[in-house]
Amino acid sequence: MPLQFHQKQLPNGLDIVAEINPDSHSFAAGLFVKTGSRDEDVPVNGVSHFLEHMMFKGSSKYGWEDVNRIFDEMGARYNAFTTQEMTAYYANVLPEFTERSIEHLSHLLRPAIRTADFTNEKKVILEEIAMYLDDPGHRLYEKLMEAHFANHPLSLSVLGSVDSIKQLERDQMADYFKGRYGPGNMVLSVTGRLAFDEVVGLADKYMGSWPHVDAPRKHSEPLYKAQKQSLTDPKLNRQYTMAMTPGPSAQDDRRFAARVLSDVIGDSDGSRFYWAMVDNAIAEEADFGFYPHDGCGSFYLSLTTAPQRTEEALSIAMKELEKVKTDLKDDEVERAKNKIASSIVLSGEVPIGRMRSIGSQWMYNKEYRSLEQDMETLMSVTPASLKQLMTQFTFDPMTIVTLGPGEK
Amino acid sequence: MAERYFQHTFDNGLTLLAEQMPGMQSAAMTLLLPAGASSDPVDRNGSATVLGELVLRGAGNRDSRQLTDYLDSLGLQRSSSVGVHHTRFGAAAPAAKVMEGLATYADIVRRPHLPEAGFTAARDLALQALEGLEDEPRQKVLLKVREWHLPSPLGRSAMGRKEDLEKLTLAVSKADFKQRYHAQGAILALAGKVDFDATRREVERLFGDWEGGTEAELKLMPPPGNSHFEEQKSEQTHIGIAYSSVPETHENYYTARMAIEVVSGGMSGRLFTEVREKRALCYSVGASYSSLRGIGSIFAYAGTSNERAQATLDCVIAELHRLSDGVTKEELDRAKIGLKASIIMSGESTSGRAGAIAHDYFMRGRIRTLDEISAAVDGVTVDRVNAYLKANKPGPFTIVIVGPKPLDLPRA
Repeated sequence: MPLQFHQKQLPNGLDIVAEINPDSHSFAAGLFVKTGSRDEDVPVNGVSHFLEHMMFKGSSKYGWEDVNRIFDEMGARYNAFTTQEMTAYYANVLPEFTERSIEHLSHLLRPAIRTADFTNEKKVILEEIAMYLDDPGHRLYEKLMEAHFANHPLSLSVLGSVDSIKQLERDQMADYFKGRYGPGNMVLSVTGRLAFDEVVGLADKYMGSWPHVDAPRKHSEPLYKAQKQSLTDPKLNRQYTMAMTPGPSAQDDRRFAARVLSDVIGDSDGSRFYWAMVDNAIAEEADFGFYPHDGCGSFYLSLTTAPQRTEEALSIAMKELEKVKTDLKDDEVERAKNKIASSIVLSGEVPIGRMRSIGSQWMYNKEYRSLEQDMETLMSVTPASLKQLMTQFTFDPMTIVTLGPGEK
Repeated sequence: MAERYFQHTFDNGLTLLAEQMPGMQSAAMTLLLPAGASSDPVDRNGSATVLGELVLRGAGNRDSRQLTDYLDSLGLQRSSSVGVHHTRFGAAAPAAKVMEGLATYADIVRRPHLPEAGFTAARDLALQALEGLEDEPRQKVLLKVREWHLPSPLGRSAMGRKEDLEKLTLAVSKADFKQRYHAQGAILALAGKVDFDATRREVERLFGDWEGGTEAELKLMPPPGNSHFEEQKSEQTHIGIAYSSVPETHENYYTARMAIEVVSGGMSGRLFTEVREKRALCYSVGASYSSLRGIGSIFAYAGTSNERAQATLDCVIAELHRLSDGVTKEELDRAKIGLKASIIMSGESTSGRAGAIAHDYFMRGRIRTLDEISAAVDGVTVDRVNAYLKANKPGPFTIVIVGPKPLDLPRA
């Protein structure tokens, strides 16, 4: 049975989008807020992510002991995440908990931000930053974003720095919350087994009194330049290399072609990078992918190699990126499309994935795309459209950052 | 209502399992072969991992590139991995495509080319992955605590050992293929939009004349000790803790599972509440049940900055000890609803179900229905859990630390 879409806006401006799948066993609901590290001022960098933690510390009605307990009493799969451009809070429950889950999400998004909780949680955030320092891939990714986006706010770290977190004050967080976390800057996305009118009624009951916020995102053009940075950490064994170059944005219709192109070039199996570097073990990993952002976008590549083979792998990658512009084959494009088509079918079967997908799509574009539309658009991608894409996004300029042990 | 679960064992020992899931367009396949890290040849730990990579490099009438291109053209979402007991191949896609791909998986596990160049590359990739592990202390501690807790060779890491991989040759891999890639003990599970009768005929055609073979008997030896420190100049100290539980087939299995759910099921679990929420000692902390055939274990992990590592270890151990004082009805109710909800929601994923029925069959020789699991969870009472915990106090603990400095370990 095809999935049905519904949409409504409450008087306070809260957008509700729903995709109903009567075959589902569960109900999924998520609140997507259009705010993230790119909306932060440098001195409060990390506040969106820290605030995500504070949402689980209680509202005026509940304390920190209650928030997780109530979710667990529903047997919910629940969590939250923060990116450069959004923060999302969600729960996946059995349909009998539809009302309770919406009510509880409404408490989550009205945090009390108590000073004692704030002070305690700061230590957890600092531990989270420390944890990622033991993960070379994550360290490198942060450095890459910082270098590639330079003065653009996408360069800011999602977690913030040890300094910005240590100096952040409770009231700065409360101000940030007040300015950005309300209808007008927020979408409620629901999927799975549900009755739309019931959900609208519940959203109105529990979120209808939230004040509207006007929180436009400041957009500026990133200034890209060709650059290369080498970072050393003598305790590492392997060399990790990432590069980034401009691509289509989340609003750009060429993003579908960009995804197909990325798979042709650098899917983890069967791609050009795979045959050029992984099949022969020059690199342990050699991926090429696509990150669409709000208003701009990036292609990226990621290599893991022995330190002495990094230059060789990087030079092969660059040659492949040139070569694909002139010798793209019909059948490799077909294969990439078929793989993506399967992932579209599989994603439609799981409500929690669709909840994320339609919620973020609405947040970016105020647009709903059904699985059928996604499939049609995918099928309309041709080798010619990929070739054209590569005349518009030429993989230049490119930011390259590499992290490894240096001379041993 | 139409029948949902199916099971058939062919004469050569291959078992076919299926779960028909109404409303699904996709199907998922899990193929388990009796080639896990625990049955790697003596002094060739890592062999199953190299072989699992090598068999994909050309099989039947297709060379390496043709094989990959063909599976890609079907749009199969593929995976492969090596665990303690098995080498596993997985594929998911719209149902017809998965059925079309089955013949190629028969080629892969029965008629791989095992080329020399492919072998060298596969072994090299395995060695590179081992090197990379040294850069990820969190992954390392999770593997090390298994090695120090479980009886050998069950605690071996599928990633293998450097000295073993360096000695591995194509001849050894070819012999290993003959020894371990066979029908006896192999499990093929399909879930989703599946027609069992048609599938059985197809599997009979593709695998019916596959050689049976015999599964190796494992000789179990005690692990090397119950504590281990590995010095690493990491940002955090990574703590792995393990103790023994009951196996999945034990009458107390669901009781033991519920107890560990109370410790670390949802975010209101005791470890998260006491270690992170109350004391803010770390970001990542948790414990879970882990199942091998005939052996159940609890593994816990915490990662924290070096100066707070001792307090974190002490706190986690104290929470595990406190379990023997019993759980409350509210805690148990939350654990039960959590597990039941996750069972019902697992019915939304064909890949999840294909993996689950294959696991069930290997552990028990049959598939558990979702209703059976739900009923068993319902049957667990506070009295049963508390009597069990009183008689089976958590411990003794195996503790592995990866970080700059060793910690004081609790006695017993």
